[in-house]
Amino acid sequence: MQDNSPAQPAVDLRGVVKRFGTMTAVDHLDLTIRSGEFFTMLGASGCGKTTTLRLIAGFELPTEGQILISGQDVSDIPAYQRPVHTVFQSYALFPHLTILDNVAFPLRVRRLPRAEQRARAMAALEMVQMGRYGDRKPSQLSGGQQQRVALARALVNEPTVLLLDEPLGALDLKLRKEMQLELKDMQRRLGITFVFVTHDQEEALTLSDRIALMQGGRIVQLDTPANLYNAPQSLYAAEFIGETNLIPARMVSADHGSSVVEALGQTYRAEGTTASAGAAVTLALRPERVRREPAGTGPVGELVEIDFIGTDLRLTYRMADGSKVIVRQQNSGGIPPAIGERMPLGFETDSLRIFTS
Amino acid sequence: MRRAARQRLEIGAMLAPSVLLLVLFVLLPLCIVAAYSFALRDSYGAVLPGFTLQNYADLFQSVYLLVFVNSLELAASTTILCLLIGYPVAYFIAFKAGRWAPALLLLLLIPFWINFLIRISAWVVLLGRGGLINQGMLWTGLIDAPVGMLGTYGATLVGMVYAFLPLTVFPIYAALQPIDRKLIEAGADLGAGPAETFFRVTLPLSLPGVLAAALFVFVPSMGVFAIPVLLGGGKDIILGNLIVQLFLEFRNIPLGAAVSMLLLALAGVGILLYMRALRWVERMQ
Repeated sequence: MQDNSPAQPAVDLRGVVKRFGTMTAVDHLDLTIRSGEFFTMLGASGCGKTTTLRLIAGFELPTEGQILISGQDVSDIPAYQRPVHTVFQSYALFPHLTILDNVAFPLRVRRLPRAEQRARAMAALEMVQMGRYGDRKPSQLSGGQQQRVALARALVNEPTVLLLDEPLGALDLKLRKEMQLELKDMQRRLGITFVFVTHDQEEALTLSDRIALMQGGRIVQLDTPANLYNAPQSLYAAEFIGETNLIPARMVSADHGSSVVEALGQTYRAEGTTASAGAAVTLALRPERVRREPAGTGPVGELVEIDFIGTDLRLTYRMADGSKVIVRQQNSGGIPPAIGERMPLGFETDSLRIFTS
Repeated sequence: MRRAARQRLEIGAMLAPSVLLLVLFVLLPLCIVAAYSFALRDSYGAVLPGFTLQNYADLFQSVYLLVFVNSLELAASTTILCLLIGYPVAYFIAFKAGRWAPALLLLLLIPFWINFLIRISAWVVLLGRGGLINQGMLWTGLIDAPVGMLGTYGATLVGMVYAFLPLTVFPIYAALQPIDRKLIEAGADLGAGPAETFFRVTLPLSLPGVLAAALFVFVPSMGVFAIPVLLGGGKDIILGNLIVQLFLEFRNIPLGAAVSMLLLALAGVGILLYMRALRWVERMQ
């Protein structure tokens, strides 16, 4: 991680509020984005992630609070004077300009010499492997190609911060995966701070140094991908990121870090919220942390569904109390279990987390 | 095969009424006017059958040449003024009016429900010596005595702009309205201020609408006859009122028909130029 990065944060939001009429899109947001990191704002639609991005870009002005970019207060500075560029979800290439002129646009606006405009725009196009398409018009390119051009145009001016608003949302899966790798690679090479907005948790986990999971205009959890996945701090985070088994449980004894709960007729030690003894809670654990243990003493489930994922098998067991537990195990090529098998399930206790229901 | 033939018959039957209407009321009168323009006339004004090019040769007399120059000049001034006023109006409706846009467009349409001559007559009242404008200026002390505005070139121009302004607003609005707002944001995002974004992004993207607006104003404004007569006092003669005078006052129907054909040719040239310019703009986009 980059805890020892320069003290100057790339973007600093201080108590930022954005209201549209009576609707609060961003609710007292405090957020520090470090210089040079790949930062992702993740959340369902309407969680305020795009509004936050638009506030940083300057397309919206905050109702309250301060926005600093590289230490400079830009709260009242219009978009065209901010040292940030945006890659739009719809690419927003200028249809009347050629690809080269599109990429040269920010340089032309700065009145750089013609030759320099051309050279730098060409270099940016080469960087995204679009050098051959300079004379074309945007309408003559595919979605993936337009995406690359949009990236080149946003990077040609070497912004302090690059904002990306669901830039891969319109691409098909294969292209999307490819572009994810390229984005990550480019961010590392250029050392520019990327602020990325997406609703796709998998994309966020793959790309980011840190993720801000947002809900209702606030940050639910701000963490590294690994922590967000392994140690969700709320039921919302546990459910939003990856697949999670949520098992109804009852608190037996509460203790910081290591409480005891009763679930599926067994007692488990787990981390998480401390509720008073006897309270109904939810036990969360990842499907890949559940094991089929033929000789085990765990709760017994009946296999009711098998999904073949390719690398994995996804097995759904119905437990005695009717709740379902999903098990994910690697596809090792053997004969898959048969529907109807009854199997004791073992939970890896270090992955169990307790949340108040 | 039979199916295709049947389909052709159906399409023909459906098109027949409008084709018939066009032939009867557009093509046929046009042919009659064209025929008249080559006809002879006796000294009492009656049209005599025959064929002559004299009517067209007469058009080259300096009196008539002056009319052409006047017409082109008035049409050009009207077009430029209409574009200069109409563009900001269309821009406002498309980008700033928000939910009021439909209402504003409707307001622009309402004058069309009133007869054209009545609307122009209203300007006679407004611009007259005892009219609202003079009285207003007297009352505020801007002037000491009423100003004679009627019967001037300025009055004609005011009437022309008034008549054609809605025709400029609509096509420009239609070109501005579908522009992706993200493009304007992208302009700002990439460092272009509002003015620069307008000239580099918005204006080029709306040029097809501007061209259409120019065509809608320039071509018909050469044929107008009521406005120069009612507001301009008939001092500046343009093609429109020349035709009226030749037909009704001088009883020189063949010459009037020749002027009409010339007006038609000018309109054709205007449309050709428009199509040329449009193709150029579209290639640019």
